[in-house]
Amino acid sequence: MKRKLILTLVFVMLLPLLGGCWNHRELNQLAIALGLGIDKVGDKYRLSVQVVDPEQVAAKKGGAAAERTPVILYSLTADSVFEAVRKMTIASPRQIYPAHLRILVFGESAARDGIGKILDVISRNWEFRTDFFIIVAKGTTAFDIMDSLTQLEKIPAMKLFSSLRTSDKIWGPTTSVTLDKLVTQLITKGKEPVLTGIQSFGDRSIGGTLENVKRTKPAERLRYGGLAVFKRDKLIGWLNQRDSLGYAYVNDIIRSTPNRVPCSKGRNIMLDVIRSKTKMKGDVVNGKPRIKVMVRQEVNVEEVHCKIDLMKPETISELEKKANQHVKALIEHAVKTVQKKYKADIFGFGEEIHRSDPKAWKKLKDNWDAKFAQLPVTVEVDTKIRRLGTVGNPLIKEIK
Amino acid sequence: MGLLKKMLKRKQKPSSGSSGSMQNTSVQNAPLQADLQENINQIQEALGYCPDIMVRKILINKRQTRAAIVFTDGLIDATAVENSILKPLMLDFPDNSSEEPPPSAAQDLLEFIRESVLTVGELQELTDLKGALDAVLSGNVVILADGYAQGFSVDMAGWEQRGVDEATTETAIRGPKEGFVEDIRINTVLLRRKIKSPALRWETRIIGRVTKTNVAVMYIKGIVNEKILEEVFLRLDSIDIDGIMDSGYIEELIQDETFTPFPTVINSERPDVVAAALLEGRIAILVDGTPFVLMVPALFIQFFQAAEDYYHRSDVTSLIRLVRYLTFFITLLGPSFYIAITTFHQEMLPTPLLISLAAQREGVPFPAFVEAFIMEVAFEILFEAGIRLPRAVGQAVSIVGTLVLGTAAVDAGLVSAAMVIVVSLTAISSFLVPHFELNIAIRMIRFVYMALAATFGLFGIIVGLLALVLHMCSLRSFGVPYMTPLAPFVPSAQKDTFIRVPRWRMYTRPILQAGQNKVRQQPPQKAKPKPPDKQ
Repeated sequence: MKRKLILTLVFVMLLPLLGGCWNHRELNQLAIALGLGIDKVGDKYRLSVQVVDPEQVAAKKGGAAAERTPVILYSLTADSVFEAVRKMTIASPRQIYPAHLRILVFGESAARDGIGKILDVISRNWEFRTDFFIIVAKGTTAFDIMDSLTQLEKIPAMKLFSSLRTSDKIWGPTTSVTLDKLVTQLITKGKEPVLTGIQSFGDRSIGGTLENVKRTKPAERLRYGGLAVFKRDKLIGWLNQRDSLGYAYVNDIIRSTPNRVPCSKGRNIMLDVIRSKTKMKGDVVNGKPRIKVMVRQEVNVEEVHCKIDLMKPETISELEKKANQHVKALIEHAVKTVQKKYKADIFGFGEEIHRSDPKAWKKLKDNWDAKFAQLPVTVEVDTKIRRLGTVGNPLIKEIK
Repeated sequence: MGLLKKMLKRKQKPSSGSSGSMQNTSVQNAPLQADLQENINQIQEALGYCPDIMVRKILINKRQTRAAIVFTDGLIDATAVENSILKPLMLDFPDNSSEEPPPSAAQDLLEFIRESVLTVGELQELTDLKGALDAVLSGNVVILADGYAQGFSVDMAGWEQRGVDEATTETAIRGPKEGFVEDIRINTVLLRRKIKSPALRWETRIIGRVTKTNVAVMYIKGIVNEKILEEVFLRLDSIDIDGIMDSGYIEELIQDETFTPFPTVINSERPDVVAAALLEGRIAILVDGTPFVLMVPALFIQFFQAAEDYYHRSDVTSLIRLVRYLTFFITLLGPSFYIAITTFHQEMLPTPLLISLAAQREGVPFPAFVEAFIMEVAFEILFEAGIRLPRAVGQAVSIVGTLVLGTAAVDAGLVSAAMVIVVSLTAISSFLVPHFELNIAIRMIRFVYMALAATFGLFGIIVGLLALVLHMCSLRSFGVPYMTPLAPFVPSAQKDTFIRVPRWRMYTRPILQAGQNKVRQQPPQKAKPKPPDKQ
């Protein structure tokens, strides 16, 4: 009895050791990857991983000038993404740790080839979280985007992340897409995915050196622009800024955005959308689907270029009408462009039809791309001007 | 384990042989003799002719009778002995021959002395040697007269002692400042002065075969739970030990469970705390020779309650109390959480924090667990050194500790700065728990959690917490579940658990430890000023 008790106790005491700290990793055994770029080179994938050099990033006493770059770029080519991640250790002293990934960049070549295969490993692997943004390098490779130092945010991947997050909040044309959202859009019938594009400007030759960030205007600059339109998992084209805003209106992802509305001949008034809500309504009449888009928005007047009397209620309602027309035109143009040029239902009209009339959708879904191209879309906009700012009438009107 | 059990068994066996060898029991049981010199000899013999045992031979009853007083030098108040015993006996012995016949019978003289001569308050008759010895050793003056086989013991105790002083271990900004002292009589007085009720009762026990220490059990009749009181006496009566130096001895001998880090008996050196406990139906155990008074039953939440909680406003108190519970968890889990998250769950940290922590860890040669372990042990060393060292040296130690461990270790790259922050936060937090017993218990267990965190990560911590909760729920303090009023959940007691509601809302006593008398005040009352009369 006593011996049994002692044995049990010994085993219990040994139990913690059996765990062996199976996935125990010290912080200084990790290569924290914040940015990941994937290009397609022939049949192979080229991975570019931006790994943080923590000592160069963390705040230092004295503020001595950085001697090394804040990030290290490991790049190599392999047959599959997973293989490439593991193979990375032949160049990196530490294992790549992707849980803190902030940004995933697809090179345009990889995006045109199809992102489905790549997304499989990224959504399957438990170390990847789903909160990073996915973007497409417009007209360049993901390697080029990754191989560039930035200012203000020392880590380029962090710069790309916060820049997209901020501009998504206050600049309508950009759209931030996370992994879970992208995968949902990929597998939902009647909704094609879009990704924001990233462009590189300037002199790429010194983009990845410290020289790049030692100027007031870096030699290589990264800027968001355009919206990549996908069909299935393949990139088929780009939307310009105006159509991107139209897309944002239809999909109800505008939080705040400036909006330019003509007020008199050749002159504009800038409105700031402070609240915007879009409702989509679809129905099928005689086997023919149609969509109605209703936008309700509240705006502030921010910048006035024409001599109008804002103190009069009639002027305000006049402006509201003009804003309605403007947004209506914006949306219609975006829809028309996509219908004609790409025939890819990025607006999710199919999904709406599915929701409103599931029976009809069964017949429609097989040939939806063609149906989408002919889909009649009506747009209704209701704008309310809320505030005029700290002055009343336009300055230009008051000037003697 | 086997060895441990053997040791325990040995401890519980009464060591009956020791008392016999130490003192001659047969002599002690002997009655007093009629011959004065023989009595004196016997006392001197039993006490080994110690130089501090004073025997003063005198003549009393108008120089007709030989007598002696025996006392221990230093234990008695010399002036009082002169005024109340020696003077009446030797000089002012009343003349009783004129009106009444002189005391002829043996008994009469003693009776006369007791009734008419000695001007003292407390007097006991002695018939045997043992009583005489006990009396001499506990500061009484023994009076023996020739020709009488009886004597008197007069309480003349008076010795140098610490006056009632500020309680040093439980300081408070607001509230009574006085603290208990070493003398049990003064301590009971301090409590009597707080509770002037005939229901305040106390019973004494003499514990310790050699030290013969006075132990008083104090309670308020009508509020106390009689069953718990019975249990206290049962446990006290079964103590068989040679000596009691501090209430800690008693605590260890009567507590419910030995193998737990958690204290199931609470102590205090503040009379106001003990008085409040008595009013809640608890039982106080006062031990002569120590200012620390034990209170039972003691519950887990009590260790988070400071005396001051009840003297400040309830909202302030509630906030502070919540902070205390928070620091309890910081002390318990601070280092282990740091270890678990930085070595297993790096994905839980915000990215900038992760990078900052990673930068600090660059070049640190130890794994996070070893790093934390070294620092925590260093803290324990510093802490213990700080207690034991003379006050003047203590400051030097703290400077060395701060400089060496805080700054130099980080500069040398031996530990990361974040770890120093975690350890110091843990250290400071541990002192927010008002009672040292619990504080030290948490500090002890936190090492277990650090090991669990280092092997299993957060999973280990959660499993450890579950085990801890189970253990704590299994504890009892004199039959009352330790986690009351959390488990079992007592809704009415929640008014004074995590928060404290205003005084006028606290109208019941804690249910389990109080007996039948549960109502403190008429519920619910609130002293509101009356609106001024309109005239």
